[in-house]
Amino acid sequence: MLSREKANGLWKDWRLHVIVFAIVIIAESIGQFEFSVGPGVVLLLPMLYAIIIGLVVFFSPLAGEEQSKHAEPLLVLGVALLLAKIGVIIGPDLPEIIAAGPALLLQELGNLGTILVALPIALMLGLKREAVGMTHSVAREPNVGLIMDRFGINSPEGRGVMAVYIFGTVFGAVFMGLIAGFLATLTPLHPYSFAMASGIGSGSMMAAASGSLIGAFPDMENTIVAFAGASNLLSLSTGLYVSIFIGLPLTEKLYRMMEKRRGGGGDA
Amino acid sequence: MLNNIQEWTILLVIFGISALFGNWLGYGIMPLQAVPGMIILILVCLAGFIAAEVIPLRFPSVAYIAIIGILVSTPWTPGSAYVAEWTGQVELLALTTPILAYAGIAIGRSWADFAKLGWRTLVVASLVLLGTFIGSALIAEVVLRIQGII
Repeated sequence: MLSREKANGLWKDWRLHVIVFAIVIIAESIGQFEFSVGPGVVLLLPMLYAIIIGLVVFFSPLAGEEQSKHAEPLLVLGVALLLAKIGVIIGPDLPEIIAAGPALLLQELGNLGTILVALPIALMLGLKREAVGMTHSVAREPNVGLIMDRFGINSPEGRGVMAVYIFGTVFGAVFMGLIAGFLATLTPLHPYSFAMASGIGSGSMMAAASGSLIGAFPDMENTIVAFAGASNLLSLSTGLYVSIFIGLPLTEKLYRMMEKRRGGGGDA
Repeated sequence: MLNNIQEWTILLVIFGISALFGNWLGYGIMPLQAVPGMIILILVCLAGFIAAEVIPLRFPSVAYIAIIGILVSTPWTPGSAYVAEWTGQVELLALTTPILAYAGIAIGRSWADFAKLGWRTLVVASLVLLGTFIGSALIAEVVLRIQGII
Protein backbone atom coordinates (compact mmCIF):
# COMPACT_ATOMS: atom_id res chain seq x y z
CA MET A 1 0.00 0.00 0.00
CA LEU A 2 1.01 3.60 -0.35
CA SER A 3 2.09 4.08 3.24
CA ARG A 4 4.66 1.27 2.95
CA GLU A 5 6.20 2.83 -0.12
CA LYS A 6 6.79 6.07 1.81
CA ALA A 7 5.67 8.19 -1.07
CA ASN A 8 8.58 10.57 -0.52
CA GLY A 9 9.38 13.24 -3.01
CA LEU A 10 6.78 12.15 -5.54
CA TRP A 11 5.36 15.66 -5.66
CA LYS A 12 8.68 16.85 -7.04
CA ASP A 13 8.03 15.03 -10.32
CA TRP A 14 6.53 18.17 -11.86
CA ARG A 15 6.92 16.77 -15.34
CA LEU A 16 4.43 14.00 -14.48
CA HIS A 17 1.90 16.29 -12.81
CA VAL A 18 2.01 18.87 -15.59
CA ILE A 19 1.53 16.12 -18.19
CA VAL A 20 -1.50 14.76 -16.32
CA PHE A 21 -2.92 18.26 -15.91
CA ALA A 22 -2.58 18.78 -19.66
CA ILE A 23 -4.17 15.39 -20.41
CA VAL A 24 -7.14 16.27 -18.18
CA ILE A 25 -7.58 19.64 -19.91
CA ILE A 26 -7.46 18.03 -23.36
CA ALA A 27 -9.71 15.10 -22.46
CA GLU A 28 -12.39 17.21 -20.75
CA SER A 29 -12.30 19.77 -23.57
CA ILE A 30 -13.05 17.08 -26.14
CA GLY A 31 -16.06 16.05 -24.06
CA GLN A 32 -18.42 13.13 -24.29
CA PHE A 33 -19.43 11.44 -27.53
CA GLU A 34 -21.80 8.58 -28.16
CA PHE A 35 -22.76 6.51 -31.15
CA SER A 36 -25.18 3.64 -31.70
CA VAL A 37 -24.19 0.12 -32.60
CA GLY A 38 -27.43 -1.62 -33.42
CA PRO A 39 -29.78 -1.07 -30.50
CA GLY A 40 -26.99 -0.32 -28.00
CA VAL A 41 -25.04 2.86 -27.36
CA VAL A 42 -21.26 3.11 -27.11
CA LEU A 43 -20.11 6.01 -24.93
CA LEU A 44 -16.77 7.73 -25.36
CA LEU A 45 -15.98 9.55 -22.12
CA PRO A 46 -13.08 11.90 -21.29
CA MET A 47 -11.60 9.24 -19.00
CA LEU A 48 -11.18 6.92 -22.00
CA TYR A 49 -9.27 9.60 -23.92
CA ALA A 50 -7.21 10.19 -20.78
CA ILE A 51 -5.98 6.61 -20.49
CA ILE A 52 -5.16 6.43 -24.20
CA ILE A 53 -3.37 9.80 -24.26
CA GLY A 54 -1.49 8.71 -21.12
CA LEU A 55 -0.34 5.56 -22.86
CA VAL A 56 0.75 7.50 -25.94
CA VAL A 57 2.63 9.98 -23.75
CA PHE A 58 4.52 7.10 -22.11
CA PHE A 59 5.89 6.12 -25.51
CA SER A 60 6.71 9.71 -26.44
CA PRO A 61 9.88 11.50 -25.24
CA LEU A 62 7.68 13.55 -22.85
CA ALA A 63 7.58 10.85 -20.18
CA GLY A 64 9.72 7.88 -19.34
CA GLU A 65 10.21 4.93 -17.04
CA GLU A 66 10.51 7.24 -14.03
CA GLN A 67 7.19 9.01 -14.62
CA SER A 68 5.55 5.65 -15.17
CA LYS A 69 6.83 4.38 -11.81
CA HIS A 70 5.73 7.55 -10.05
CA ALA A 71 2.30 7.43 -11.67
CA GLU A 72 1.43 4.20 -9.88
CA PRO A 73 1.21 5.53 -6.28
CA LEU A 74 -0.56 8.62 -7.65
CA LEU A 75 -3.12 6.29 -9.17
CA VAL A 76 -3.65 4.77 -5.71
CA LEU A 77 -4.11 8.24 -4.22
CA GLY A 78 -6.59 9.16 -6.94
CA VAL A 79 -8.60 6.02 -6.24
CA ALA A 80 -8.53 6.99 -2.55
CA LEU A 81 -10.09 10.35 -3.43
CA LEU A 82 -12.63 8.58 -5.63
CA LEU A 83 -13.56 6.26 -2.75
CA ALA A 84 -13.99 9.25 -0.43
CA LYS A 85 -16.39 10.70 -3.01
CA ILE A 86 -18.20 7.37 -3.31
CA GLY A 87 -18.41 7.24 0.49
CA VAL A 88 -20.17 10.61 0.68
CA ILE A 89 -22.55 9.54 -2.09
CA ILE A 90 -23.37 6.30 -0.27
CA GLY A 91 -23.86 8.05 3.10
CA PRO A 92 -27.10 9.93 2.39
CA ASP A 93 -28.46 6.84 0.59
CA LEU A 94 -27.39 4.44 3.33
CA PRO A 95 -30.97 3.33 4.11
CA GLU A 96 -31.42 2.52 0.41
CA ILE A 97 -28.17 0.54 0.29
CA ILE A 98 -29.13 -1.45 3.35
CA ALA A 99 -32.48 -2.20 1.72
CA ALA A 100 -30.64 -3.52 -1.34
CA GLY A 101 -28.25 -5.55 0.84
CA PRO A 102 -29.43 -9.01 -0.28
CA ALA A 103 -28.94 -8.18 -3.96
CA LEU A 104 -25.52 -6.66 -3.25
CA LEU A 105 -24.34 -9.70 -1.33
CA LEU A 106 -25.67 -12.33 -3.72
CA GLN A 107 -24.38 -10.66 -6.89
CA GLU A 108 -20.86 -11.21 -5.56
CA LEU A 109 -21.41 -14.83 -6.60
CA GLY A 110 -21.84 -13.56 -10.15
CA ASN A 111 -18.05 -13.54 -10.34
CA LEU A 112 -18.41 -17.28 -10.82
CA GLY A 113 -19.98 -16.44 -14.20
CA THR A 114 -16.45 -16.03 -15.46
CA ILE A 115 -15.82 -19.77 -14.90
CA LEU A 116 -18.96 -20.88 -16.70
CA VAL A 117 -18.42 -18.56 -19.67
CA ALA A 118 -14.65 -18.47 -20.06
CA LEU A 119 -13.44 -21.94 -19.00
CA PRO A 120 -15.21 -23.97 -21.73
CA ILE A 121 -13.99 -21.53 -24.39
CA ALA A 122 -10.45 -21.60 -23.01
CA LEU A 123 -10.40 -25.41 -23.25
CA MET A 124 -11.93 -25.31 -26.71
CA LEU A 125 -9.08 -23.03 -27.77
CA GLY A 126 -6.66 -25.71 -26.62
CA LEU A 127 -5.45 -24.16 -23.36
CA LYS A 128 -4.65 -26.63 -20.58
CA ARG A 129 -3.83 -25.89 -16.93
CA GLU A 130 -3.30 -22.21 -17.81
CA ALA A 131 -7.07 -22.06 -18.13
CA VAL A 132 -7.52 -22.78 -14.41
CA GLY A 133 -5.47 -19.73 -13.47
CA MET A 134 -7.10 -17.62 -16.14
CA THR A 135 -10.74 -18.30 -15.42
CA HIS A 136 -11.08 -19.05 -11.68
CA SER A 137 -11.69 -15.35 -10.92
CA VAL A 138 -11.35 -11.86 -12.38
CA ALA A 139 -7.62 -12.03 -11.57
CA ARG A 140 -7.15 -8.96 -9.40
CA GLU A 141 -4.34 -8.74 -6.83
CA PRO A 142 -5.81 -11.07 -4.14
CA ASN A 143 -6.58 -13.76 -6.73
CA VAL A 144 -3.09 -13.53 -8.22
CA GLY A 145 -1.74 -13.96 -4.71
CA LEU A 146 -3.88 -17.03 -4.16
CA ILE A 147 -2.72 -18.75 -7.37
CA MET A 148 0.94 -17.89 -6.72
CA ASP A 149 0.57 -19.31 -3.24
CA ARG A 150 -1.09 -22.50 -4.42
CA PHE A 151 0.82 -23.23 -7.67
CA GLY A 152 3.86 -20.94 -7.77
CA ILE A 153 4.77 -18.17 -10.20
CA ASN A 154 6.31 -20.42 -12.86
CA SER A 155 3.43 -22.90 -13.04
CA PRO A 156 1.02 -22.90 -15.99
CA GLU A 157 -1.72 -21.73 -13.58
CA GLY A 158 0.53 -18.85 -12.50
CA ARG A 159 1.18 -17.83 -16.11
CA GLY A 160 -2.55 -17.98 -16.80
CA VAL A 161 -3.56 -15.74 -13.91
CA MET A 162 -0.78 -13.26 -14.73
CA ALA A 163 -1.93 -13.06 -18.36
CA VAL A 164 -5.47 -12.12 -17.35
CA TYR A 165 -4.10 -9.78 -14.68
CA ILE A 166 -2.00 -7.95 -17.28
CA PHE A 167 -4.93 -7.77 -19.68
CA GLY A 168 -7.14 -6.35 -16.92
CA THR A 169 -4.50 -3.83 -15.87
CA VAL A 170 -3.86 -2.54 -19.37
CA PHE A 171 -7.20 -2.91 -21.03
CA GLY A 172 -9.73 -3.52 -18.21
CA ALA A 173 -10.91 0.05 -17.72
CA VAL A 174 -11.37 0.69 -21.44
CA PHE A 175 -13.10 -2.66 -21.91
CA MET A 176 -15.46 -2.26 -18.94
CA GLY A 177 -16.21 1.36 -19.89
CA LEU A 178 -17.24 0.34 -23.38
CA ILE A 179 -19.27 -2.77 -22.55
CA ALA A 180 -21.07 -1.36 -19.48
CA GLY A 181 -22.86 1.44 -21.31
CA PHE A 182 -23.39 -0.75 -24.36
CA LEU A 183 -24.92 -3.72 -22.49
CA ALA A 184 -27.05 -1.47 -20.27
CA THR A 185 -28.62 0.16 -23.32
CA LEU A 186 -28.81 -3.08 -25.31
CA THR A 187 -30.25 -5.57 -22.81
CA PRO A 188 -33.48 -5.33 -20.81
CA LEU A 189 -31.56 -5.58 -17.52
CA HIS A 190 -31.91 -2.58 -15.20
CA PRO A 191 -29.01 -0.08 -14.92
CA TYR A 192 -28.99 -0.72 -11.13
CA SER A 193 -28.11 -4.37 -11.80
CA PHE A 194 -25.20 -3.33 -14.01
CA ALA A 195 -24.19 -0.76 -11.37
CA MET A 196 -23.82 -3.58 -8.83
CA ALA A 197 -21.96 -5.65 -11.41
CA SER A 198 -19.48 -2.78 -11.94
CA GLY A 199 -17.87 -3.39 -8.57
CA ILE A 200 -15.53 -6.23 -9.42
CA GLY A 201 -12.72 -5.24 -7.08
CA SER A 202 -10.72 -2.84 -9.23
CA GLY A 203 -11.03 0.89 -8.64
CA SER A 204 -10.30 1.94 -12.21
CA MET A 205 -12.56 -0.69 -13.80
CA MET A 206 -15.37 0.22 -11.41
CA ALA A 207 -14.89 3.90 -12.20
CA ALA A 208 -14.96 3.26 -15.94
CA ALA A 209 -17.99 0.94 -15.86
CA SER A 210 -20.11 3.03 -13.50
CA GLY A 211 -18.97 6.19 -15.29
CA SER A 212 -20.31 4.98 -18.59
CA LEU A 213 -23.56 3.91 -16.89
CA ILE A 214 -23.93 7.45 -15.52
CA GLY A 215 -23.23 8.82 -18.99
CA ALA A 216 -26.07 6.68 -20.38
CA PHE A 217 -28.49 7.20 -17.46
CA PRO A 218 -27.65 10.58 -15.88
CA ASP A 219 -30.90 10.71 -13.86
CA MET A 220 -29.87 7.67 -11.87
CA GLU A 221 -26.37 8.93 -11.06
CA ASN A 222 -26.46 8.78 -7.26
CA THR A 223 -27.94 5.31 -6.96
CA ILE A 224 -25.64 3.94 -9.68
CA VAL A 225 -22.56 5.26 -7.88
CA ALA A 226 -23.81 4.09 -4.49
CA PHE A 227 -24.50 0.56 -5.72
CA ALA A 228 -21.25 0.32 -7.70
CA GLY A 229 -19.20 1.65 -4.80
CA ALA A 230 -20.81 -0.62 -2.22
CA SER A 231 -20.40 -3.61 -4.51
CA ASN A 232 -16.74 -2.79 -5.11
CA LEU A 233 -16.12 -2.62 -1.37
CA LEU A 234 -17.80 -5.99 -0.94
CA SER A 235 -15.72 -7.46 -3.78
CA LEU A 236 -12.53 -6.17 -2.19
CA SER A 237 -13.41 -7.72 1.14
CA THR A 238 -15.03 -10.99 0.00
CA GLY A 239 -13.38 -11.65 -3.38
CA LEU A 240 -10.50 -13.68 -2.00
CA TYR A 241 -12.79 -15.92 0.05
CA VAL A 242 -15.16 -16.54 -2.83
CA SER A 243 -12.08 -17.60 -4.84
CA ILE A 244 -10.68 -19.89 -2.14
CA PHE A 245 -13.88 -21.64 -1.15
CA ILE A 246 -15.94 -21.64 -4.34
CA GLY A 247 -14.15 -20.26 -7.42
CA LEU A 248 -10.98 -22.33 -7.47
CA PRO A 249 -12.55 -25.67 -6.37
CA LEU A 250 -15.36 -25.21 -8.90
CA THR A 251 -12.87 -24.42 -11.69
CA GLU A 252 -10.84 -27.53 -10.83
CA LYS A 253 -13.93 -29.70 -10.83
CA LEU A 254 -15.25 -28.37 -14.14
CA TYR A 255 -11.78 -28.64 -15.65
CA ARG A 256 -11.49 -32.33 -14.74
CA MET A 257 -15.02 -33.05 -15.98
CA MET A 258 -14.46 -31.38 -19.33
CA GLU A 259 -11.03 -32.86 -19.87
CA LYS A 260 -12.40 -36.35 -19.16
CA ARG A 261 -15.20 -35.86 -21.64
CA ARG A 262 -12.70 -34.79 -24.25
CA GLY A 263 -10.65 -37.89 -23.48
CA GLY A 264 -7.76 -35.84 -22.14
CA GLY A 265 -5.61 -36.90 -19.24
CA GLY A 266 -7.15 -34.70 -16.58
CA ASP A 267 -4.09 -33.21 -14.90
CA ALA A 268 -2.06 -32.86 -18.05
CA MET B 1 4.29 9.45 10.09
CA LEU B 2 4.15 13.26 10.11
CA ASN B 3 6.34 13.28 7.03
CA ASN B 4 3.96 10.89 5.33
CA ILE B 5 0.90 12.99 6.18
CA GLN B 6 2.62 16.03 4.70
CA GLU B 7 3.53 14.12 1.55
CA TRP B 8 0.03 12.66 1.12
CA THR B 9 -1.50 16.11 1.57
CA ILE B 10 0.69 17.68 -1.11
CA LEU B 11 -0.02 14.86 -3.56
CA LEU B 12 -3.76 14.93 -2.92
CA VAL B 13 -3.75 18.70 -3.49
CA ILE B 14 -1.87 18.28 -6.78
CA PHE B 15 -4.34 15.62 -7.87
CA GLY B 16 -7.23 17.80 -6.66
CA ILE B 17 -6.11 20.76 -8.77
CA SER B 18 -6.17 18.67 -11.96
CA ALA B 19 -9.60 17.32 -11.00
CA LEU B 20 -10.97 20.81 -10.23
CA PHE B 21 -9.96 22.09 -13.68
CA GLY B 22 -11.49 19.02 -15.31
CA ASN B 23 -14.59 19.66 -13.20
CA TRP B 24 -14.72 23.18 -14.65
CA LEU B 25 -14.09 22.31 -18.31
CA GLY B 26 -16.18 19.14 -18.39
CA TYR B 27 -19.06 19.99 -16.07
CA GLY B 28 -19.08 23.80 -15.90
CA ILE B 29 -18.47 24.05 -12.15
CA MET B 30 -16.12 26.94 -11.27
CA PRO B 31 -13.03 25.73 -9.37
CA LEU B 32 -13.65 28.06 -6.39
CA GLN B 33 -17.16 26.73 -6.01
CA ALA B 34 -15.85 23.15 -5.77
CA VAL B 35 -12.91 23.87 -3.45
CA PRO B 36 -14.79 23.24 -0.15
CA GLY B 37 -15.97 19.84 -1.41
CA MET B 38 -12.49 18.90 -2.57
CA ILE B 39 -11.06 19.88 0.84
CA ILE B 40 -13.59 17.61 2.55
CA LEU B 41 -12.68 14.70 0.25
CA ILE B 42 -8.97 15.24 0.92
CA LEU B 43 -9.59 15.32 4.68
CA VAL B 44 -11.57 12.06 4.45
CA CYS B 45 -8.64 10.47 2.59
CA LEU B 46 -6.12 11.68 5.17
CA ALA B 47 -8.29 10.39 8.00
CA GLY B 48 -8.46 7.02 6.25
CA PHE B 49 -4.69 6.83 5.70
CA ILE B 50 -4.07 7.73 9.35
CA ALA B 51 -6.66 5.19 10.54
CA ALA B 52 -4.92 2.46 8.50
CA GLU B 53 -1.59 3.36 10.13
CA VAL B 54 -2.90 3.63 13.68
CA ILE B 55 -5.44 0.81 13.87
CA PRO B 56 -3.61 -2.53 14.11
CA LEU B 57 -5.94 -4.40 11.74
CA ARG B 58 -4.91 -5.63 8.30
CA PHE B 59 -7.56 -3.59 6.58
CA PRO B 60 -6.66 -1.59 3.46
CA SER B 61 -6.71 2.20 3.79
CA VAL B 62 -9.21 2.51 0.91
CA ALA B 63 -11.76 0.63 3.02
CA TYR B 64 -11.30 3.06 5.93
CA ILE B 65 -11.63 5.97 3.52
CA ALA B 66 -14.92 4.71 2.10
CA ILE B 67 -16.28 3.98 5.59
CA ILE B 68 -15.28 7.41 6.92
CA GLY B 69 -16.85 8.98 3.82
CA ILE B 70 -20.08 7.15 4.57
CA LEU B 71 -19.99 8.07 8.27
CA VAL B 72 -19.59 11.82 7.68
CA SER B 73 -22.55 11.90 5.29
CA THR B 74 -25.27 9.65 6.72
CA PRO B 75 -28.61 11.37 7.29
CA TRP B 76 -28.05 10.89 11.04
CA THR B 77 -24.69 12.73 11.13
CA PRO B 78 -24.87 16.37 12.25
CA GLY B 79 -23.80 18.71 9.45
CA SER B 80 -24.07 16.02 6.81
CA ALA B 81 -26.22 18.31 4.65
CA TYR B 82 -23.18 20.58 4.15
CA VAL B 83 -20.95 17.62 3.33
CA ALA B 84 -23.42 16.46 0.69
CA GLU B 85 -23.89 19.97 -0.73
CA TRP B 86 -20.17 20.80 -0.96
CA THR B 87 -18.94 17.45 -2.22
CA GLY B 88 -21.82 17.48 -4.70
CA GLN B 89 -19.89 20.23 -6.52
CA VAL B 90 -17.10 17.73 -7.32
CA GLU B 91 -18.31 15.49 -10.13
CA LEU B 92 -17.38 11.81 -9.89
CA LEU B 93 -16.34 11.71 -13.54
CA ALA B 94 -14.03 14.69 -12.97
CA LEU B 95 -12.11 12.50 -10.50
CA THR B 96 -11.93 9.50 -12.81
CA THR B 97 -10.29 11.44 -15.68
CA PRO B 98 -7.01 12.24 -13.85
CA ILE B 99 -7.02 8.72 -12.32
CA LEU B 100 -7.06 7.17 -15.77
CA ALA B 101 -4.51 9.69 -17.06
CA TYR B 102 -2.06 8.50 -14.39
CA ALA B 103 -3.16 4.93 -15.15
CA GLY B 104 -2.34 5.34 -18.85
CA ILE B 105 1.20 6.47 -18.03
CA ALA B 106 1.60 3.74 -15.39
CA ILE B 107 0.45 0.87 -17.63
CA GLY B 108 2.88 1.90 -20.35
CA ARG B 109 5.48 -0.21 -18.57
CA SER B 110 3.25 -3.30 -18.79
CA TRP B 111 2.71 -2.77 -22.51
CA ALA B 112 5.61 -5.03 -23.52
CA ASP B 113 4.10 -7.89 -21.47
CA PHE B 114 0.69 -7.10 -22.91
CA ALA B 115 1.95 -7.22 -26.49
CA LYS B 116 3.34 -10.70 -25.84
CA LEU B 117 -0.05 -12.16 -24.91
CA GLY B 118 -1.40 -14.42 -27.63
CA TRP B 119 -4.78 -13.98 -29.27
CA ARG B 120 -6.23 -16.89 -27.26
CA THR B 121 -5.37 -15.08 -24.06
CA LEU B 122 -7.11 -11.93 -25.29
CA VAL B 123 -10.27 -13.88 -26.11
CA VAL B 124 -10.33 -15.71 -22.77
CA ALA B 125 -9.45 -12.60 -20.72
CA SER B 126 -12.26 -10.63 -22.40
CA LEU B 127 -14.67 -13.45 -21.58
CA VAL B 128 -13.47 -13.45 -17.96
CA LEU B 129 -14.43 -9.79 -17.55
CA LEU B 130 -17.62 -10.18 -19.58
CA GLY B 131 -18.61 -13.32 -17.63
CA THR B 132 -18.32 -11.76 -14.21
CA PHE B 133 -20.05 -8.56 -15.33
CA ILE B 134 -23.04 -10.33 -16.86
CA GLY B 135 -23.15 -12.97 -14.11
CA SER B 136 -23.31 -10.35 -11.38
CA ALA B 137 -25.84 -8.24 -13.27
CA LEU B 138 -28.16 -11.23 -13.79
CA ILE B 139 -28.12 -12.20 -10.11
CA ALA B 140 -28.60 -8.56 -9.04
CA GLU B 141 -31.53 -8.22 -11.48
CA VAL B 142 -33.29 -11.30 -10.10
CA VAL B 143 -32.82 -10.34 -6.43
CA LEU B 144 -33.73 -6.68 -6.98
CA ARG B 145 -36.91 -7.78 -8.75
CA ILE B 146 -37.82 -10.24 -6.00
CA GLN B 147 -37.29 -7.45 -3.47
CA GLY B 148 -39.42 -5.12 -5.57
CA ILE B 149 -36.68 -2.45 -5.75
CA ILE B 150 -36.78 -2.27 -9.55
